[in-house]
Amino acid sequence: MLIELKDVNKTYNNGQPLHVLKGIDLSIDRGEFVSIMGASGSGKSTLLNILGILDNYDTGEYYIDGRLIKGLSEKQAADYRNRLIGFIFQSFNLIGFKTAVENVELPLFYQGVGRAKRHQMSMEFLDRLGLADWAKHYPNEMSGGQKQRVAIARALITNPKIILADEPTGALDSKTSEEVMQLLSQLNREEGVTIIVVTHESGVANCTDKIVHIKDGIIGQIEDNREHRASMFGVNTIMK
Amino acid sequence: MRDVFIEIWESIRRNKLRTCLTGFAVSWGIFMLIVLLGAGNGLMNAFMTGSEDIATNTMQVGGGRTSKPYDGLKEGRRISLEDGDVSLTAGELFADHVDRVVSTVGTNVTVNYGKKHFAGYIEGNYPARQEMDKIEVRYGRFINEKDIRDSRKVVVLSENQAESLLGGGSRDSGARFATLSFDSKGQNKVDVTALLGQYVRIGAFSFRVVGITKSDRMSDSNLFYAPYSTVKVIYGKGKEIDDLTFTFHGLDSEADNEAFEDRYRAAVNLRHRAAPDDRRAIWIWNRFTQNLQMNKGRRILSTALWIIGLLTLLGGIVGVSNIMLITVKERTHEFGIRKAIGASPWGIMKLILAESVSITAFFGYVGMLLGMVACLVLDKTVGQSTVSVMDEQIAMLVNPTVGLDVAVGATVVLIVAGTFAGLFPARKAAQVRPIEALRAE
Repeated sequence: MLIELKDVNKTYNNGQPLHVLKGIDLSIDRGEFVSIMGASGSGKSTLLNILGILDNYDTGEYYIDGRLIKGLSEKQAADYRNRLIGFIFQSFNLIGFKTAVENVELPLFYQGVGRAKRHQMSMEFLDRLGLADWAKHYPNEMSGGQKQRVAIARALITNPKIILADEPTGALDSKTSEEVMQLLSQLNREEGVTIIVVTHESGVANCTDKIVHIKDGIIGQIEDNREHRASMFGVNTIMK
Repeated sequence: MRDVFIEIWESIRRNKLRTCLTGFAVSWGIFMLIVLLGAGNGLMNAFMTGSEDIATNTMQVGGGRTSKPYDGLKEGRRISLEDGDVSLTAGELFADHVDRVVSTVGTNVTVNYGKKHFAGYIEGNYPARQEMDKIEVRYGRFINEKDIRDSRKVVVLSENQAESLLGGGSRDSGARFATLSFDSKGQNKVDVTALLGQYVRIGAFSFRVVGITKSDRMSDSNLFYAPYSTVKVIYGKGKEIDDLTFTFHGLDSEADNEAFEDRYRAAVNLRHRAAPDDRRAIWIWNRFTQNLQMNKGRRILSTALWIIGLLTLLGGIVGVSNIMLITVKERTHEFGIRKAIGASPWGIMKLILAESVSITAFFGYVGMLLGMVACLVLDKTVGQSTVSVMDEQIAMLVNPTVGLDVAVGATVVLIVAGTFAGLFPARKAAQVRPIEALRAE
């Protein structure tokens, strides 16, 4: 198993203790395309933060590729994030004063890759996503879809074990949303990238092969969706 | 490293005005520091002119008046040094510290050359004196051993004196030499070498001029030199001498010097039947301790100036720190992204620290450069002017510039200051939690 969570608990202690994750058990295999669905407050964002090593959990165990992710130093966590995980965010989270290619280069910079190599690799990835002409543009000169594709290039460039996408279509219109989801499923299909998408949109979830429902901090139903028939509206389209 | 600088440049470029305004405070601080230290150096140099020409390990001893009764004699008795004091000083009692002893004897005379004359003080001296007092002979030579042995009638005049005899400058009879006019560089208008080998008349005797020394503007040099033996024979008052000067070694601290002075004073006082602890019976002028005190004063002044300068700089540093805090606040989201994609806390800290040090160092250097230019301007203006006090030309500032040591010191200060200014904001940046930063939209 690529990802294994065993009885993961998380409580926030802001004034009143809030038990957000109440014993999550989840396994995700290499090459899977999974969505985590839940209403707001269900704990799906917290789960994503833990999966992305952005947050700690209280009890339980979390393994990525057999490595226990627990009690890491900040430096180590940063290193794992850099090498194991690629992030795609709802609001793209590109750095505004850097060009597309510079944004894509950044994870490699933190790996200590040299300038020329970095640049060449970034250009390759942008080219694969059809953005080679936009390499020298700043994020505010690009459309939402283009920005998200730059973000995807940035997530892919370190060749991570997992791509974590947090509402990747949340800021996009339905047509662009569809394109992005198609891109993700293509990456999954053709390159075998493990992708976990967190969403509350059933249409988005319907594009994935497996839907994990989370409710009140507990994993509910896990749907096999290889037929892509989970959403009654979601066949071949994303409702907005 | 290059990547870090590119990042800094990008950050600064986005906030040009703010960075420049903050940088100005740093420049100002360093500018003040350099100008203050330069002016302080100039002031100290002006004080030290004259005294720096003198060998520092000498003591001069002269007669005084007793201030307390002793051995049945009343106070207020005049004490004159004698040949015996010279042998005492040079003798076994002080052999562990005293090297060479020379005594002087002299009197006021009028020196005539043709129709010109001046009133001076003829001082019988030894060749060794030249080195002790660092007397600079411009033309000819100083008194030598042969002069002493043969009691030759030769004199070594100063440039001013020679000039007045040759008729340059003021014709005012009995004029003191300080009123002689100089051109801007202080050099004589008359060729004084013409006097070398000529005879001047002093009282009933003719003396040959064998050397001409550099005049210094600071001391009231109506003094000129002749062989000790000659003056002793012509003007001597028995065993009495004017004063004696000796060089010494092995007295390195102020305490050592004081102990030696007390011991020496007691011995000489007893020879003259004065109380051993009577500090007025003889005068001891220790150039070494005087120099120590001068250096101490110099250090205190320079420390005070450093403190004032650094406090001025502190304002600039606080400004930089402040601006870096704002930068961190503005870039919280960006730091969150960087951390999410793999930046370590140190990776973030490095950015802020490097930016802070760069701003401080760059603007500091601009300030330092301007400060040095200001020092040079000071040197070319105030540094060249003198004020006339009691017929003496006194320079206000001499070479009011700072040395390489100050530049290096200021560089270290800047880097340390920049680091300090950036430390707190950088820590804050490093502590940014990626989830919260990403949420902050």
